[in-house]
Amino acid sequence: MPAMTISAWLRRAARLGVVAGVALIYLSLVGLVGAFEERDVVTDVLKLGTLMLAAVAVIAGYRAALPPKTAAAPPGVMRLAAGVLAGTVAGAFVGALLLLAATPIDLQTVFVRLNAALIAFLSFDAESPVVGAALQIGLNAVLGGVGAVLVLLPDRFRRPLVFATLAVALVSMAEPYVRPRLDQLDMDPIADFLYSGHGLTVAASVVVFVLVTAVAVAWAPARSQVDRRLAVLPAERRRSVRFTSFILIGLLVLALPLITGQFISQVLVLVGLYLLLALGLNIVVGYAGLLDLGYVAFFAVGAYLMAILTSADGPLGAPMVAIAGEQGAFFVALPIVMVGAALTGLMIGAPVLRLRGDYLAIVTLGFGEIARILFLSDALEPWLGGVQGIIGIPSPLPQRVDFALGPIEISWSGPQVIFYPIVLFCLLAAVVAYRLAGSRVGRAWNAMREDEEVAEITGVNTVNYKLLAFAMGAGLGCLSGALFAIQLGSVFPGSFNVLVSITVLAIIILGGMGSIPGVILGALVLIGLPELLREFAEYRLLVYGGVLVAMMLLRPEGLIPNRGRQRELHEQDDEDEQYAHEAGEDVAKPVVA
Amino acid sequence: MRIRLPERLSLIDLVLWALRIAIVVGVTAGTVATLAEGTLQATDWRDLLVYGIAQGSVYALLALGYTLVYGVLFMINFAHGDVFMAGAMTAFFVADYFGETGFMNANPIVALAVIFAVSMLTSMIVAIVLERIAYRPLRRAPRLVPLITAIGASLFIANSVRGLFGERIQSYPRVDILQGRIDVLGIPVLKTQALVIVSAIILMLALYYFVERTRTGRAMRAVSEDKDTASLMGIDVDRIIVTTFAIGGLLAGAAGILYALVFNQVHWFMGFLPGIKAFTAAVLGGIGNIAGAMLGGLSLGILESVGPYLLLSGFNVSSPNQLRDVVAFTVLVLVLVFRPNGILGASEGDK
Repeated sequence: MPAMTISAWLRRAARLGVVAGVALIYLSLVGLVGAFEERDVVTDVLKLGTLMLAAVAVIAGYRAALPPKTAAAPPGVMRLAAGVLAGTVAGAFVGALLLLAATPIDLQTVFVRLNAALIAFLSFDAESPVVGAALQIGLNAVLGGVGAVLVLLPDRFRRPLVFATLAVALVSMAEPYVRPRLDQLDMDPIADFLYSGHGLTVAASVVVFVLVTAVAVAWAPARSQVDRRLAVLPAERRRSVRFTSFILIGLLVLALPLITGQFISQVLVLVGLYLLLALGLNIVVGYAGLLDLGYVAFFAVGAYLMAILTSADGPLGAPMVAIAGEQGAFFVALPIVMVGAALTGLMIGAPVLRLRGDYLAIVTLGFGEIARILFLSDALEPWLGGVQGIIGIPSPLPQRVDFALGPIEISWSGPQVIFYPIVLFCLLAAVVAYRLAGSRVGRAWNAMREDEEVAEITGVNTVNYKLLAFAMGAGLGCLSGALFAIQLGSVFPGSFNVLVSITVLAIIILGGMGSIPGVILGALVLIGLPELLREFAEYRLLVYGGVLVAMMLLRPEGLIPNRGRQRELHEQDDEDEQYAHEAGEDVAKPVVA
Repeated sequence: MRIRLPERLSLIDLVLWALRIAIVVGVTAGTVATLAEGTLQATDWRDLLVYGIAQGSVYALLALGYTLVYGVLFMINFAHGDVFMAGAMTAFFVADYFGETGFMNANPIVALAVIFAVSMLTSMIVAIVLERIAYRPLRRAPRLVPLITAIGASLFIANSVRGLFGERIQSYPRVDILQGRIDVLGIPVLKTQALVIVSAIILMLALYYFVERTRTGRAMRAVSEDKDTASLMGIDVDRIIVTTFAIGGLLAGAAGILYALVFNQVHWFMGFLPGIKAFTAAVLGGIGNIAGAMLGGLSLGILESVGPYLLLSGFNVSSPNQLRDVVAFTVLVLVLVFRPNGILGASEGDK
């Protein structure tokens, strides 16, 4: 491989710096920096906004110091220089923004977030914009250098350092939830050691950082040893090890509401509802390869069916409650909801099955919107409640559960109670989906997704299998909707817009299409994390959009790819790389068709 | 057309036939009931029709963007509605400035020209950047990948604009010369609506000339026929694709201003519904077909404004206008199910 010339190498670094500079300005102007500027990571030392901006410069430096695959690596000094250069260029962009903001041109009428607070934050409270700009350039140059140093570090130190930084950020973000819980459990000293104000104390952040680094450094060799030990075990023993670890994880999940308290339980309930939706859509999109953008319709149908059948105010719900009682109504209604769900799936599925992939996406999007508008409309108000929705849906679960487990007295209420049925349904759905994937049906779906015509020729009845996928997806969607309805006690048309469909799609794409662990991770990250970052609410959709684009460009198979899918991808990699080489450009790896 | 029954009538065919019959019966019954009741006067229908044509012209301009891109790349540029929104939102600041300084009403023609130019240029730049960053690396990926990217890009653009410019609904300043009505062949037409229709016609003629008569236009048609062969004939395919996106962006920017002049309001979420409806229009006319996009846009605009009243008010449905979007989406679903090639679409096969 030829080495790059010095000027080409530095030009490349400068280009990366320009990209990073644009990213920094974008983050500032779009308001993300402002949203996070209040949030402390380490009280009085480091703010989340600073950390975010720093991450951009570090990544730019890292990328600049990383040689491209087609060229030999230049010497270490050159790589360090590239990192510093990228950081400097990026800093110059922010500096230019500061200088521009100091001119009489009124930028704030256009860019609403470019207010005095943001400018003060970016210029480190320096009075003169020139000083602020100089500080930005200098700091970003250093950060770019840090990125370059990360490249030069051996692998077994780099990952732990990145993990440790993320861990510090995560622990500090959890403050509003962890601190009250610790107080509740009479663990004030721990709380006071960890947090001061809304961020970590300096001592605590050092402890967390060192601890995570040490564990991660130690874990890497230990892990490979564990893997080796596991590999030589007989199959039976290996299965029992896996089984035991599943049980342990299961027990941990069951104990979560106890450990975490009300707030986080509420978040977990939401994660569970979305997980159920994602598992359902995963069957349709991940297994059968049918891109359904109107998935929210099923969620809405489930919620409304449950509401109509059990709300004591409605014409159907009143006799139902009278006969079955408030708690029994749910159990009578649930099978009806599931049947209704499957029928809705067939009704929506049947006419659209002969469409090509992209048309199917748009038609289902259309169905989703039709459903939303119908639920909202005055025309159907007598049945569906119009804008006011339907209220007074009884919950089959008790408000509180108190019992003693040996010496420990346990008392659950609200979200802590409903968490358990949701976990149960999620588990059921995951097992069904997992077993289906390996069955004859799953293989038929696989074949259909890879090449519909070939599948049909080899005797797969594609129409039936597509309908089955739609019906199963609809079933899980409606189930989630029904649980959503009893959890809230009411349904409103506003909860069922197209953004729900897209959120669920983003969960699947992030985790990996067709991969159940991936879907779980996706739901935790995309639903759980934003709840921890309340300032973030407004930017949720921005991030979901970014996630969809970035995943498709960089890692279309998802964070935890489905194993079979990954194998399919790698078969094609060789061809693609060859093509890329000929065309002289990067070609993204294809995923599902 | 002779209808041939398939030898074995499958369940799906049965469902589709039931649907066809239900539609015909429903539409006929609704129309007859409405006309028999006679709640709306002839002038009301005429106004709805003119409104529909104006609305349809905006859809047609947007539909051209979908159709052009589909023609060369065979992908649905889901973010096109947000390209349209970005132009209208950016030009708002220029319009607002002109409105406040009084320039808008002192020199309305110049001011409008500048606003149009700003909107069209912004949309064009957004479209070009979108192609370069999000779509070009995926040129050879399976179909669903660019589609998912496009959905992500759509969210990203809309929410970026929300973050950058704020989430308030902004109103365009009043343009005095566009107030009131003018008489066209004895029919009083709102001046804004007239402007929309006339500008749309001019832009469409310009596009038609460009595609049919210029060298680049010919290269574009060649690329849409067969990319590989076109590139062997010395056509720079990447450049043609960028040009296609740029033209789509220009038209979307113009549509953005026209939309803003009619409805007076712009906001960050305004791209979603018009975007999907314009896609419907493109499919209705036959996607990939330029004349089809214009025809589809006008048809959809008219269907959407006249349809709810004509079909539903006979059944005493309250506030049928709320259901206009349902009409649009139902048209979309029905066209895709029964005639995916559209009105003018030649049999495209299953490319």
